[in-house]
Amino acid sequence: MNKQIAEVEKLTVRIGKKTVLNDIQVQLQKGESVVITGRNGSGKSTFLRCLAEVILPDQGSVEYSPEISREKIGFISDQISLFENFTVKQGIDFHSSVFRITDFDPTLINELKLNLNQKIKTLSAGERTLYHLSLILSQKPQILLVDEIIHVIDPFLREKFLEAIIDLISQLQTTVIMVNHTFSEIEKIPERVLLMENGQFIMDEKSEILGTKIKKIVSEKEIPKEIPCIFKKESSFFKEYFIYPFKEELRTKFPHDYKDLSLTEIIKAFIGDQYAKKRIP
Amino acid sequence: MFRLNIDFSSPLPIYQQVIHLIKMEILSGRLKDGDRLPPIRELAKILKLNPNTVAKAYYTLEAEGIIESKRGSGNWVHTKKAKLDSLRKGMIEDEFRTFLESAFSLGAKKEDLKKLMARYLNDEQTNR
Repeated sequence: MNKQIAEVEKLTVRIGKKTVLNDIQVQLQKGESVVITGRNGSGKSTFLRCLAEVILPDQGSVEYSPEISREKIGFISDQISLFENFTVKQGIDFHSSVFRITDFDPTLINELKLNLNQKIKTLSAGERTLYHLSLILSQKPQILLVDEIIHVIDPFLREKFLEAIIDLISQLQTTVIMVNHTFSEIEKIPERVLLMENGQFIMDEKSEILGTKIKKIVSEKEIPKEIPCIFKKESSFFKEYFIYPFKEELRTKFPHDYKDLSLTEIIKAFIGDQYAKKRIP
Repeated sequence: MFRLNIDFSSPLPIYQQVIHLIKMEILSGRLKDGDRLPPIRELAKILKLNPNTVAKAYYTLEAEGIIESKRGSGNWVHTKKAKLDSLRKGMIEDEFRTFLESAFSLGAKKEDLKKLMARYLNDEQTNR
C-alpha cells in the first residue's frame, strides 16, 4: 500500500539573496493526504510550486515515479491564470482538446449553475476554483496540489470542493497535498502534517498521533522545566503551556490537567514565535 | 443515522471515533443485524473524513467480528447476540468510568453518588 510517488532531494530555491527553500528532503506516498502549514513566508507555496514544476529549483530535484506524467499533476492556486477571455464552455472545450479528454464530467459545473457563455474572468473566486478543479478532475490526476485556496471559498462551495476531493482519494488514490493554515473543515482529511519554517520542514507527523504528542496545560504558576514546552501564552489571569513531545509518563511525574488540542491549536502552537526562534541558527 | 460528530481535539484517533460511532449505532438499535453500512466513500463524504480513515475503521470492525464485508456488495452489520452483549457491557463500563472521573473531579463523595444513583434509578423506573 505504501508506494512512493515522489522523492524530493536537497531542494533549494533562492529568490534574490533569500534562500526560500533550504535543502529539503521529503518523500510522498501514493494516495496519502498531506497538509503543509507554517508561518507566512516560510516557503510553503514555493515548495508547492516546485512540486507542480512551475518553478525550477536552484539545487536538488523533485523526482516523480515513472507513471506520473505531467498531465497527471493538478495544481490549484488563486494565482493561476485560466483562459480568462474564453467562456466557460470554450475553456472546457479547449482543455479537453489539449488533453484529449472525451469524457468531461460536467457534474460540478452543473451544480454550480454556471452560465456556459460567461467569461472565465467574471467568475467569483469560489466558482473559479471549482471550475479549475473540474478541469483538473477530467485529467484523472494522480497528484493534486492545492495552494491555500480553501479560505476564499464560501462554505457551500467549500463543502462541494471537499466532497470532490474525497471522491478523488477514494476513486483514484490520488495524492493530495494542501497548503493551509486555516483548518476547521479540512482538518479531518490530511493523514500527515508537515510544518515549514525558514524553508525547511521542522515537523513531519501522522495526524492520527499528533494529538497524542502535543497537549496544553493551563496554569497560574510556572510549570517544571522538565516538562518540554514549545510555546507559552500568557495573560494576566493564566498561562498556557503547549507541551511537545508529550509522553504519558508526564501525567504521573508531573500531575496536571493535560488538555487535548484541535489541529488549528496545534499548528498555532508550533508556529508560535518561541519555537520559530529556537530553530533559527 | 450517524448523529455524532468526529472531534479532532479528542485524543482518540479519528478511525477509532468512527468505530465507536458505529458501535453506538448498533447498540442503540439504529443499525440492526443484517443492515448495510454506508459505502466507505459515502460515509467519508457525510463526516468529511479521509476515505482511508473510514476504510481503516471498517477493517477493524470486521476483524472484531462486528461487521462483515462482502466483496462487491459492501459492508453489513453482522453481530451475534453474545458479542453484542459483551460489547454493550464494555461500553457501559467505559461510560461509567468517565462519569465517575468527572464526578470525583467535581468533589463528589461516594455516599452522595450512591444516593443520587438510587434516586435517579427510582425515578427512571416510575417514569417507565
